[in-house]
Amino acid sequence: MGTLVHGKRIHEPEAITVRMRVMRRGLKRSLWTLLALIMGLTAQPLIASAQEEAGSAMRRYREREFSTGYYEEYEAKPIRQRPLVGVPGVSEGLFPYSPTAAAVRIRTRLADSHQGIKFYENLSCDYCHMRETKDIHTVRANLTCRQCHGGEPIASINHYYSPLNPIRRHAYVCSKCHAGASASYASYVVHAPNPAMISTLQTFPLLFIVFWGMVAIAVGTFLVFLPHTIAWGIREISMRKEKTAK
Amino acid sequence: MKPSGKIRLKRFSVGQRIFHLLLMLSFLTQGATGLARMYIETDFGKGLASFFGGYERALAIHKYVGILMICGFLVHLLYLIVSIDWSQYKSSLFGPDSLIPTPGDAREFIHHICWFFGLIRAPRFDRWGYWEKFDYWAVFWGIPILGITGLILAYPLISTRVMPGWGLNIAFWIHRIEAILAMAHVFIIHFFIGHLRRTNFPMDRAMFEGSVDLDVASHEKPFWVARLAQTGKLEGMLVPESKPGRRILFYVFGYAAMMVGVFLLIGGLVNSPYITW
Repeated sequence: MGTLVHGKRIHEPEAITVRMRVMRRGLKRSLWTLLALIMGLTAQPLIASAQEEAGSAMRRYREREFSTGYYEEYEAKPIRQRPLVGVPGVSEGLFPYSPTAAAVRIRTRLADSHQGIKFYENLSCDYCHMRETKDIHTVRANLTCRQCHGGEPIASINHYYSPLNPIRRHAYVCSKCHAGASASYASYVVHAPNPAMISTLQTFPLLFIVFWGMVAIAVGTFLVFLPHTIAWGIREISMRKEKTAK
Repeated sequence: MKPSGKIRLKRFSVGQRIFHLLLMLSFLTQGATGLARMYIETDFGKGLASFFGGYERALAIHKYVGILMICGFLVHLLYLIVSIDWSQYKSSLFGPDSLIPTPGDAREFIHHICWFFGLIRAPRFDRWGYWEKFDYWAVFWGIPILGITGLILAYPLISTRVMPGWGLNIAFWIHRIEAILAMAHVFIIHFFIGHLRRTNFPMDRAMFEGSVDLDVASHEKPFWVARLAQTGKLEGMLVPESKPGRRILFYVFGYAAMMVGVFLLIGGLVNSPYITW
């Protein structure tokens, strides 16, 4: 006689042990699945600022952050120093990059955008990024670099997990102060190029064109009306009295 | 030259004068609050901002007054629609009483410049000189430009739903340059023509008193006076000069506005190298 287990006809006592083995295997598998699920849950991204509720838009960041507010008092080293990694296009170390490697290690995509920079720990941000300190966010709102770019290691803005990556910039950075910021809103160019510079024609063409268009209108108005009005004033001084009278 | 003492010719209605007054006050407020923020890094800007209650308060006032100006502009559009004689819209729009520029204005402009250099006799104007038409259209173009970019910048969360966020960078520069142009034009050209040229010195009271000196009008705008005399309207438009007390008020107010403007102009020019543009 016997029982049918997995398509095989086997004897009764033997069938019980086989069944128990199958059950144990299933239990083990489900335990692993559960563990994987828990691991997966812990690996979720952090809560974005856009997902919380807040009343004040302007003072919000300063109210909520845990910090002394003195950002430049300490500098930490980037996590890994890789002496052979250099700036793409600049040959450094024993093996310069192939085009593929350069594409991978390009500085706007690194987990630590400053990796490999010599004496990095002794430098302040504006030593290299002078122009980036001359915008409204820095000058008027008194923001420091770290309030948006974060602590060390500072991820490149296009690194996949960077808070400043355009896919999450609005939620992770902008909405700290500008509650409700959208992705479109976050495409505002914080470190805007100087609109008057010819290089802006390459980096932000519409800004350059509109700037010079408006300047042309303003300067044109004054080129016409300033000499015109001065000449008019002078002419009226020398206008004969009898002509003014009647 | 009427023996009755009516020596001035009516030029602006009460409504027009009230609108000019509102425009003056709001324009100066916008100029002062805007420059307060633009120059906040300098003592000039800090002083201006403190007058309005600080950096944030200056912006709040700037936004409210800006919305007020947009409303004023919309009311003015309604006023235009009502005051145009649509049954004879051609003569109403392009006639001598209209502010719409015509080829004749370009001719008068060139003649006027030739007269500055003594080449020909002074051109004789009708009701509106080309410089007055330019002043009008400068505001007519300026308010929508500043108003639209201003609204975009004041409500960035809403405006970036329909435009990309980098449009804010562009709107900011349009707003700034147009505002500088408007202020420089009013504080230099408009004030010079209205106050300092010999015919008007010390001040053209037309926009406050509502009337102009008949002698001056018949010298500078003879076609207008002749047209009024021809159609028999001249007699009814003659008014006496206002009382000395009111005249003093006009002068004090006009000069106060001019001083505010010149203060903003000089402060802005002197401090321009010391700000982050």
